[in-house]
Amino acid sequence: MIEIKGMAFGYKRQKLFDGLDLMLEPGNIYGLLGKNGAGKTTLLKLICGLRFPQAGECRVLGYLPQNRPAGLLEDICLISEDLHVPPVTPAFFERLYAPFYPRFDHGVFVEHLREFELDGSKKLTEFSYGQKKKFLLAFGLAARTRLLLLDEPTNGLDIPSKSQFRKALARSTTGDQLVLISTHQVRDMENLIDPIIILDEGKVIFQESLEEAARRLSVTMEHEQPTDGGVIFSDKTLGGYVVVRENTAGAESYVDLETLFNTVITSRDRVRAVFGGSAAGKGA
Amino acid sequence: MAPALNKAFKPRRFAQLLLRDLAGGYRSMLVAMAAVAGTVMLVSFLTVFGQQLAGRHAGSGNFHFNLYGNVLFLGGFVVTSLAFREARQNGMGILYLTLPASSLEKFASKLLTTSVGYALGSVVFYTAAAAASEGINRLVFGFGNAFFNPFDTGVLEALGYYCVAQSVFLLGSVWWRKLAFLKTALTLQAVLVGVALVGGFTMRIAFGRYFTAWQLDLGDVPGWNELMRQTSLGLGPLVEIGRVLKIVFLAGTAPVCWLIGWLRLRDIEV
Repeated sequence: MIEIKGMAFGYKRQKLFDGLDLMLEPGNIYGLLGKNGAGKTTLLKLICGLRFPQAGECRVLGYLPQNRPAGLLEDICLISEDLHVPPVTPAFFERLYAPFYPRFDHGVFVEHLREFELDGSKKLTEFSYGQKKKFLLAFGLAARTRLLLLDEPTNGLDIPSKSQFRKALARSTTGDQLVLISTHQVRDMENLIDPIIILDEGKVIFQESLEEAARRLSVTMEHEQPTDGGVIFSDKTLGGYVVVRENTAGAESYVDLETLFNTVITSRDRVRAVFGGSAAGKGA
Repeated sequence: MAPALNKAFKPRRFAQLLLRDLAGGYRSMLVAMAAVAGTVMLVSFLTVFGQQLAGRHAGSGNFHFNLYGNVLFLGGFVVTSLAFREARQNGMGILYLTLPASSLEKFASKLLTTSVGYALGSVVFYTAAAAASEGINRLVFGFGNAFFNPFDTGVLEALGYYCVAQSVFLLGSVWWRKLAFLKTALTLQAVLVGVALVGGFTMRIAFGRYFTAWQLDLGDVPGWNELMRQTSLGLGPLVEIGRVLKIVFLAGTAPVCWLIGWLRLRDIEV
């Protein structure tokens, strides 16, 4: 569905991507992780044609997104952090925008509005930031586009709304859809995003499912700081040390997203070796 | 319809886009219309009042024609300059540029609403505002300015010129990120100054010996007086050149601006 080959992109003073390869398939809710400035938002913009690659190729559903063809746009929904809504009611917004999305489902839209407890009589501009985000999420889910791009979707949401968001997304996503979520709030996305993509220094340095990560890595809690050579990553926490090693015993372990992210970022080469050099740009 | 054009232009999608463009700006449009109607009534009232104070019990025949010229051109250029503002701002731009419609449809929708749409809308609205204004004047003073005639040849000609000239401001709207009206107006001024300078230097080179300091005495140029005589009769090469330039302006300006504007819209990144 998304095929990126050797893509380069940068801003005036900053080279962001240089030879980026990425292949994403439908039926997944991908998590896009990376440090600040790694290019997560820019990658989402490149995928939906708001930014143009300077070299290489980015193809989405067979289209070149930089041409912004209507046939592609009716299958893409991007909910960015820079929210903008016109000064109209939810019903009027639906009347103006829903006809552009051929698979838009009014019932799903109404259901999500109710679930997110949004006041249908208010103008969208009178909503708080979190409410605007929930409204656009409701619209995006109801649009049933094959590609749903979410940039920091849980930023600005209160605690109940984060849970509502997770439930709504998990329930509404179908097998022919691809959801790509860029986020720093990994705890909000636990049990939702899988596979995980980690961007760093202009490259995809990790792209694996959590199942594969759990198969290859073992995470343990230890009281003492480990000193053996098998340690890939360790971090002091309240109860001791979180230690990541290669899973050679085949034991089952749970790899939480934060630990996985920190392991990949701090020990990129070790992780690559553990994953047999295939951790980055899987399928590319 | 050819398959490629069919993909880039679907009448139903275009109609929906038109509806979205019109509905999105209807509040600003109502405010602007109320302001214009108020201004028309006030200025017309004061003009007639001034005439009465001066002891002349007759209004102006051209008052509304002249005022409408400002509403059409100045108002239209300002409205046109705001057409693509939403494409240039970060949050709004994302919503607009990812809206499932082709760049051709998006450009055509803005073009239609700001050219023919504005021209027709303004003429209908101004006719009503002028009629109301002159009705009040006649009730208060017993006389008023002449009513606005939307079918006057001058009005129809002005509408045609507007549709051509606004294409430059539509290009400015899609070209500039901010202050599109000001920047387009200044660019036009700069172009005019540039053309005047080039023209002046060309004259200086071509007719150098007829210059006294910076003063050109064309009367000494062989055949000049005959050329002027022909021109005054509507004949001769100057008239033909003028005719060709007018055709080039009327037929060429708008399509060129539309093409560049459409290409520019395709290239916008946010």
